[in-house]
Amino acid sequence: MAPSTRPLSPHLSIYRFTLTMTMSIVHRATGIALYGGTLLLVLWLVAAAFGGGFFDFVAWLFGTWFGQLVLFGYTWVLFHHMLGGVRHFIWDFTKGMDATGRELLVRLQLGASILLTLVVWSIFVWFK
Amino acid sequence: MSASKPTQAQIQNPTTHYGNAKASTRRFITQRVTGALNIAFAVFMVWFVVSLAGRAPVEMIELVRNPFVALGLAVMVVNVAIHMRNGMRDTIEDYFDKGEHGLAMLANNAFVLFFLVVALGAIAKIVFWG
Repeated sequence: MAPSTRPLSPHLSIYRFTLTMTMSIVHRATGIALYGGTLLLVLWLVAAAFGGGFFDFVAWLFGTWFGQLVLFGYTWVLFHHMLGGVRHFIWDFTKGMDATGRELLVRLQLGASILLTLVVWSIFVWFK
Repeated sequence: MSASKPTQAQIQNPTTHYGNAKASTRRFITQRVTGALNIAFAVFMVWFVVSLAGRAPVEMIELVRNPFVALGLAVMVVNVAIHMRNGMRDTIEDYFDKGEHGLAMLANNAFVLFFLVVALGAIAKIVFWG
């Protein structure tokens, strides 16, 4: 095999999935989702800037059950990626890197991201 | 970026050094700084979306025309653009070799630039021309 400039990631299927590894993949996946999801913000801002029928269309789109589902998912993705970043901050200080510490951190992250999403949607959408 | 290609032996030996250490450290710090700022912007965004959900466009324009809100939105867009470009570079480096890497980074730059220009343009339009 010819030497490459830097080692590439080996194929996923050869690994047994562990909790921290899965959450590492989820962190990347949520990052990519947020990257693409910036288009939702762009759409909303452009609609507001040009107003009229286009704004009504975007408002209707975000209000449909599918639009609401996407926005709900986007809320969780945002909180989960944010808390994943906080986990990395903790690891940067070499805290919580042992087996029990890192497992606890990812469990807390998943629980907190779900809880935060439900709390925000409960207060501001479902029971406002 | 370093011009010399590392050999297979260098890659296999963890004590060797190759790649651009300075740029990599800078990107590591950039991602932390923009990420920390994004925690504040996430709270800002929740407040922004919640105060506008289901409201008429006039009310949204009124809110965005507040100089603090407009400035907050603009700084958030720039900060997010830096963070998303840096994060996508990280992903690209893991899956693409040189050559393909350049092409992927070109697409990354184009998407981030599109987001930056259109989002800032829309904010500017609301603030200066209503």
